[in-house]
Amino acid sequence: MTNAAISVEKLNVSFGDSHVVKDLSFTVGQGESYGLVGESGSGKSTVLRVLSGLNRDWSGAVAIEGAVQPKTRAKAFYRNVQMVFQDPYGSLHPKKTIDDTLAEPLAIHGIRDAEARIGKALSDVGLPASFRFRYPHQLSGGQRQRVAIARALVLEPSILLLDEPTSALDVSIQAEVLNLLSALRHERKLTYILVSHDLAVVGHMCERLLVMQFGRAVEEMAVGTLASRAPQTAYAQQLLTASEGFKREG
Amino acid sequence: MRNLANKAEAPLLDIDNLKVDFHTPTGIVQAVRGLSFTLGRERLGIVGESGSGKSMTGRAILDLIPHPGVVGADRMLFRGQDLMAMDSKARRKLRGRHISMVMQDPKFSLNPVQTVGRQIAEAYRIHHKAGTREARERSLAMLEQVQIREPARVYDLYPHEVSGGMGQRVMIAMMLIAEPEILIADEPTSALDVTVQLQILKILDDLVSQRGMGLIFISHDLHLVQSFCDRVIVMYGGKVMETLPAAELADETARSRRHPYTLGLLNCLPDLDRPREKLPTLNRDPAWLA
Repeated sequence: MTNAAISVEKLNVSFGDSHVVKDLSFTVGQGESYGLVGESGSGKSTVLRVLSGLNRDWSGAVAIEGAVQPKTRAKAFYRNVQMVFQDPYGSLHPKKTIDDTLAEPLAIHGIRDAEARIGKALSDVGLPASFRFRYPHQLSGGQRQRVAIARALVLEPSILLLDEPTSALDVSIQAEVLNLLSALRHERKLTYILVSHDLAVVGHMCERLLVMQFGRAVEEMAVGTLASRAPQTAYAQQLLTASEGFKREG
Repeated sequence: MRNLANKAEAPLLDIDNLKVDFHTPTGIVQAVRGLSFTLGRERLGIVGESGSGKSMTGRAILDLIPHPGVVGADRMLFRGQDLMAMDSKARRKLRGRHISMVMQDPKFSLNPVQTVGRQIAEAYRIHHKAGTREARERSLAMLEQVQIREPARVYDLYPHEVSGGMGQRVMIAMMLIAEPEILIADEPTSALDVTVQLQILKILDDLVSQRGMGLIFISHDLHLVQSFCDRVIVMYGGKVMETLPAAELADETARSRRHPYTLGLLNCLPDLDRPREKLPTLNRDPAWLA
């Protein structure tokens, strides 16, 4: 496909003897939001780490916007593809101010107008300019995740890889962060891959999703299939039922 | 069927105006501000966001509030016994034997250098006069009761050798081996996958309906609490916003009777059946804490 933002073909990843991603193939269209769903150990985060270039030990083919990617990515790649991690408490350097955190990617890529860009990135994620010289411990979890999103956006990428971006947050804060991510996607025509164990979040954010189990693709479906409770495979059905809460027998 | 609290019987727990204050150099932080509730042989959910005081409530009942926290209450009775009047030695005797708590994360709550079986046996021997062999047999039976398939093998494993779901079951086994009347479960399943989560809930559910245990289920997951608990206390900023039957959380027709905070929490959850362009966010009213 020529218009695919991301295409993955026969991806395999092993850590020592354990084969964690097995023959995985999928494509994500330009501007699409694609969900990866599965339980822990299903390999969904590993897929993101391969896409982002953090994991260099894999086989198969990965193409971003039509360009086949080598194991070690070019610098320009990182300008185009950015990642937001699960834990906003762990993903920001505790001894660096927000300004330092946002300035670093700009310095790496030799971008001059850092001043203006940092200000814009902060206002884009709805944080006041006064936060610029604060440290992460002075921010709440939701504010930290906004900083993490600002850090990813400051390079103006076209693809964002989101690894459980709201699972460490309270539901009210989750709603704010999800709204922010949706608004940014529409404004900037971003492509998202969202990894989550929460089917309702994936249902809200994505157009299509892939259910994974033990490193394999189980079922790819449109979000409508999820909403109408009509997955084809037993495992996807089981996940969906389990996500609806506790049921007493009899 | 569910056996709810027997009306004639004194409640397992009767708490009136519970307060937890932390005296810090910059002033007093009120973690819990005047919480009152009773617990029967039922599943009582406590929901709220982080910082709402739900975990502190559980810890206050067990006398596990760390320094510089101070617990105060007009009344705190466990089966008619006044907990506030007891010294820490008497409280310690209750803790584990009559009132237990399952913590959120098995990774940090189990001793990493002892086998899980030894830890369960220890919990038994602290409260019962029993030899090593009897304690071992009891522990194996307990592991089986929490649906661990090969108890004899798991008994000799160290915490890092078991999965998250199994670790949580080990914790539950350890807390239940003394057969407490009250179990406080602080987010017992939030670190687990949904399918494992349901297995753990099934175990807790059976204990309430079969042994008549009282369960305080602390959680931030409204869906789960609504489907699992009998009654729910909604907390915000250390205060109770409302107490309601769990079934009413999902009841669309009861929405008008709900506290705005409860409604706000329910509304901001993404819902597969109600796709929305934008999720409503929560407006907090300072008057709620007045």
